[in-house]
Amino acid sequence: MALLELDDLTKRYGGIVAVDHVTMRLEQGEVRAVIGPNGAGKTSLFHLITGVVKATEGSVRFAGQDLSSMPAHQRCQRGMSRTFQLTSLFPELSARDNISLAAQSRDAKRWIPFGGGAVFRDAARRGDEALQRLGLTHIAERPAGLLSHGDQRLLEVAMALAQQPKLLLLDEPTQGLSVEETAQAVDVLAGLFAAGDLTVLLVEHDMEVVFRLAHKITVLHRGAVIADGDPETIKADEGVQNAYLGGFA
Amino acid sequence: MRFPLAVAVVLALLPLGLPPYAMTLLTEALILGLFAMSLDLMVGYARLISFGHAAAYGFGAYASGNFLLHTSMPLPCAVLLSGLLGGVVAIPVGWVCTQARGISFSMLTLAYAQLLYAVAFKWTAVTGASDGLAGIPRNPGPFGVTWWDTKAGFYYLTFAYLACAFLLCRDLVRSPFGAVLRGIRENEAKTIALGYNTRRYKIAIVAISYGFAGLAGALYAPFAGFANTELLFWLLSGQVLIMVIVGGTGTLIGPIIGAIFFLYVQQKLSNYTDSWALFFGVIFIAVVLFMPEGIWGLLRSRFPRRAA
Repeated sequence: MALLELDDLTKRYGGIVAVDHVTMRLEQGEVRAVIGPNGAGKTSLFHLITGVVKATEGSVRFAGQDLSSMPAHQRCQRGMSRTFQLTSLFPELSARDNISLAAQSRDAKRWIPFGGGAVFRDAARRGDEALQRLGLTHIAERPAGLLSHGDQRLLEVAMALAQQPKLLLLDEPTQGLSVEETAQAVDVLAGLFAAGDLTVLLVEHDMEVVFRLAHKITVLHRGAVIADGDPETIKADEGVQNAYLGGFA
Repeated sequence: MRFPLAVAVVLALLPLGLPPYAMTLLTEALILGLFAMSLDLMVGYARLISFGHAAAYGFGAYASGNFLLHTSMPLPCAVLLSGLLGGVVAIPVGWVCTQARGISFSMLTLAYAQLLYAVAFKWTAVTGASDGLAGIPRNPGPFGVTWWDTKAGFYYLTFAYLACAFLLCRDLVRSPFGAVLRGIRENEAKTIALGYNTRRYKIAIVAISYGFAGLAGALYAPFAGFANTELLFWLLSGQVLIMVIVGGTGTLIGPIIGAIFFLYVQQKLSNYTDSWALFFGVIFIAVVLFMPEGIWGLLRSRFPRRAA
């Protein structure tokens, strides 16, 4: 059974179709990239999956359960963790506190209004693991708002990881990074995915990044899926070439 | 940690050397300090800015006024019960106000306060309308205890409530719940994306904050011996917000200092001029411009090792 199943997922804003009957299966352990030109509906698709925006039609099934009418915070509790296209952190809190707050949300006692030593210790342990996995331990004490853009992007991934998600959704993890920072971030992510314990759906613009990280690629164009397959198939696909790749491969 | 303790010791010893009128003033300052601290829970930790916090204060005052006038409930129980009642009544208010965000949230809190103000004018049986409730007694008991009848006694009672409230609030903001509030303050969308139902946290903090404000109002009624509609008026909501900002938001102790400072300056200035508020306005502008972290923030940066 697929971990994530999208069926005829559609989002219309008035007359504009942002996401057009998208059907997709994501298997356990798969790293899939969603690509497409600007305005193809990639981020809208993310919003539909994570519940930030309600779908007009169609359904989202996750780990065998229909989540279509579930609000965003509950979907996250079911095991979906995401990063944002524009870095979204708690700027005045330290990197460690950022990640601790992420890890805390997986604790049944996350809401208790007194004490909470055990909750914090547990969150710190999972947080430190995630920081280490992404090589961010050295910046743990710095306020997140003062980190370099590259470290901020990775911190957001670390926060998602600290939640030990079943599905990790990355919205353009290298967005706004310099060439060197991109190379670094891709190395870190490739190392992360190599362990094979993560199921990942990522949106990315940079084709080099996509071909390096993804096992499978879904191509969106004007909200609809125009191709779906492994990187070699996608590179060879003529429709994709015309719509998007512009002769990259 | 050590500084709040030092403040506590000073406040505990003050009655020994102060003239009676200063005692009265200081008691009022502590009551307002409790009121301001309650607002700081919302403003400083969750960035929920209430323009109508007087609603909770006035509610508490009328509640305890009625308990004390019409029942023989002991004073400390009446105060506590009024605070609790204020918190419970605030749950539906919080539910409605948190439908909106930012300035709309603030305007809704103001609307509720003005609604209560209008009701207080009409509901003569409970509020005494424009006359207010007068002659609110300081009921004795339990066990015939009456030590709060004296100025010093009531001061210590107020001080005890403030100290307990401070410790409770400090534990609250340091708890996992408090961590989520800071998340909401910094970036609510992200907090939702991390799997928190932020709406519930916001309703909870509104209720808790209003509850403590109700406690402050409930102390004010037997302190002053009366309760009137001014305690619900938007002017007081504005003043308490100023106390929080001048004292230092997000610090709990800052707003208490802000309240003491406010009352002190008001007292001093009003000796010279009726338009003291004009001069306090200048002080307020100066604080916002030059000490954005307030008096407590300034003290903390001056004595970094002494602050926790």
